[in-house]
Amino acid sequence: MWAYLVTGIAVFALMVLVGLAMRMEQAHWVTYDPGSFYAMMTLHGSGMIVALALCGMGGLWFIMDRERPMDQGLAWSAYALIVLGVVAVILSVFPGHFGAAWTFLFPLPFVGATWPNWATGTFLIGVALVMLGWTIFCAQLLGCVLSKYGGLRGAMGWDLVFHHDAFVASGRPEPPPAAFAALITAVDGLFAAAGGMLVGVALIIHWLDPSVAIDPLWAKNLTYLFGHTFANLTIYMAIAFVYVALPRYAQREWHTSAVLAIAWWGTLLFVATAYFHHLYMDFVQPRGVQYIGEVASYLAAFPPAVVTIFGGALLIYRSRMRWTMSSMFMYAGLIGWLIGGVGALIDATIPVNVSLHNTLWVPAHFHTYLLEGVTLFVFGWIFADLEVRTGVVSSLATRWIAGLGIFGGGAVLLLGWYVAGAASVPRRYAEEPAPGPAIAAWASVGAILLIAGLIVCLIEAVRLARTRSAAATP
Amino acid sequence: MNGASPVLIGFLVAAAAILVVMAAIARTTIEPPETQAVVTSAGYQLRKGWLWALAAAAVVALAISLPSFPYGKSATLTGQHFTVIASQYSFELPPVVPAGKNIVFDVTSKDVNHGFGIYDERGHLIAQVQAMPDYVNHLPLRFSVKGHYVVRCLEYCGIAHAAMQGAFEVR
Repeated sequence: MWAYLVTGIAVFALMVLVGLAMRMEQAHWVTYDPGSFYAMMTLHGSGMIVALALCGMGGLWFIMDRERPMDQGLAWSAYALIVLGVVAVILSVFPGHFGAAWTFLFPLPFVGATWPNWATGTFLIGVALVMLGWTIFCAQLLGCVLSKYGGLRGAMGWDLVFHHDAFVASGRPEPPPAAFAALITAVDGLFAAAGGMLVGVALIIHWLDPSVAIDPLWAKNLTYLFGHTFANLTIYMAIAFVYVALPRYAQREWHTSAVLAIAWWGTLLFVATAYFHHLYMDFVQPRGVQYIGEVASYLAAFPPAVVTIFGGALLIYRSRMRWTMSSMFMYAGLIGWLIGGVGALIDATIPVNVSLHNTLWVPAHFHTYLLEGVTLFVFGWIFADLEVRTGVVSSLATRWIAGLGIFGGGAVLLLGWYVAGAASVPRRYAEEPAPGPAIAAWASVGAILLIAGLIVCLIEAVRLARTRSAAATP
Repeated sequence: MNGASPVLIGFLVAAAAILVVMAAIARTTIEPPETQAVVTSAGYQLRKGWLWALAAAAVVALAISLPSFPYGKSATLTGQHFTVIASQYSFELPPVVPAGKNIVFDVTSKDVNHGFGIYDERGHLIAQVQAMPDYVNHLPLRFSVKGHYVVRCLEYCGIAHAAMQGAFEVR
């Protein structure tokens, strides 16, 4: 579904510019009022995750549709709902000036609001529409995987793990690695959407009737259950691209093994339970879930570190690798995912979290695996398609220029957050205390270099697409 | 040195190690290729060691971190209690708290979610807890250093979030 991918990239590009404007304001390069800053922060946070999710959904739909054809009408319905939701969120921010952050922690959207009441409702309805579209997509994906691989037992690779010899003797094909990404996205996605929809509807009811009471801790748990899981699933959707495309460049195969299946079972469980780490500083949470938060956060790192990223490295090692724009991005994305994961694990350690919670360390680590992980997987997927269709690969010089901008500029941008986080600079501050502004200045330079690299990529992608068009012209 | 600085150094060392290893793996693609079966066989042996090393690291991290969890047992909540009330965009704080004694901050909010982040005179974040409406979070602390401590809001709470500050003395 190119519509998902193109829309996702368009929203991503807009959100990159919004992000740059925010960092430049923190660096005192530009000046605007805090209300505008927080409205942009709200838009950037919610818009960027939806942008990456759209890219992942489009690619995953394409991959799984080849396994078992899916209903185009349902896919378009989900797409329409999400786009409507995005439009509503944008309208709530411009001109609505809604600025309660993507987290919209109850009762913030309703107390001390500097924006009109309609903006609150429009934002909440917009988020609900996105969740509804996401739910339809996940349900369709789940149906596809279950029907193709013989129900949940087959799709999860149960027999492959527990009755290995009999399974191999049966001659039944095991689900490919990308199917595990699809299954876990669908199941965890539906679980997260249920939680998100619950709190979303509660907030909409409260918006209509303010006398309806909501427990702030209940709302906070459900908000982070949805937000954390949804954001994490953008990684697990995009890793399907790596499973499919990277082996072609390495001229090897990425097999489904029992270990891979077990790893994905772990991901299924731990992605959905690690969200408790967002509430470490809520001491009224039951003590047990704080322990679960730390343990699940640690365990969530095992499947990528031991199976997927390790498997990617093994795939490359002493292979006949063809290094192109696509394979460079995919391999670099694995590195970004791993490094961001280390930053996340540090923050997930509760005594350390005391010094880092809600400091700039948080955007540091999630930008690492979203910007230098998921985004690169998406770019790798797009270039894989262009390279296959045209038979043309980008020049070494183009790859170097794009790489220097995206990896070099990206590193400077990300380091700014890590250093400022370690220096206790709070996140979500329109005006940061020292040394925040000085760090934001050189981080902005990094962001500009990064954008230059992205523009080189865009120009190169258009050039390849035009090559394709020219080649197709008789 | 800020408590988070060793964390930053550790992170940067880990990131550099990852980059070196992954670059070295990428560089092997210019060497004569090996068959996938040979690489996989050796790789799976290595993976077992990698798994056990990570598992050991996780267990050690848990063992070290568990005793330092900030939540406090009921016995540690018996020191002198000080009420902290957050609201858009200020804190109601005790002007002075004692040094060298176990104390407990009872933290709540009148309106939305806030964060109660305590910064020492060097600007380092030394402790924090959320200030939530309808709930009271108990933060046990013992100040060993006297001085002026600044409180910043560490949960986004609205348009003047960045300006929401307070202060108290430790004597």
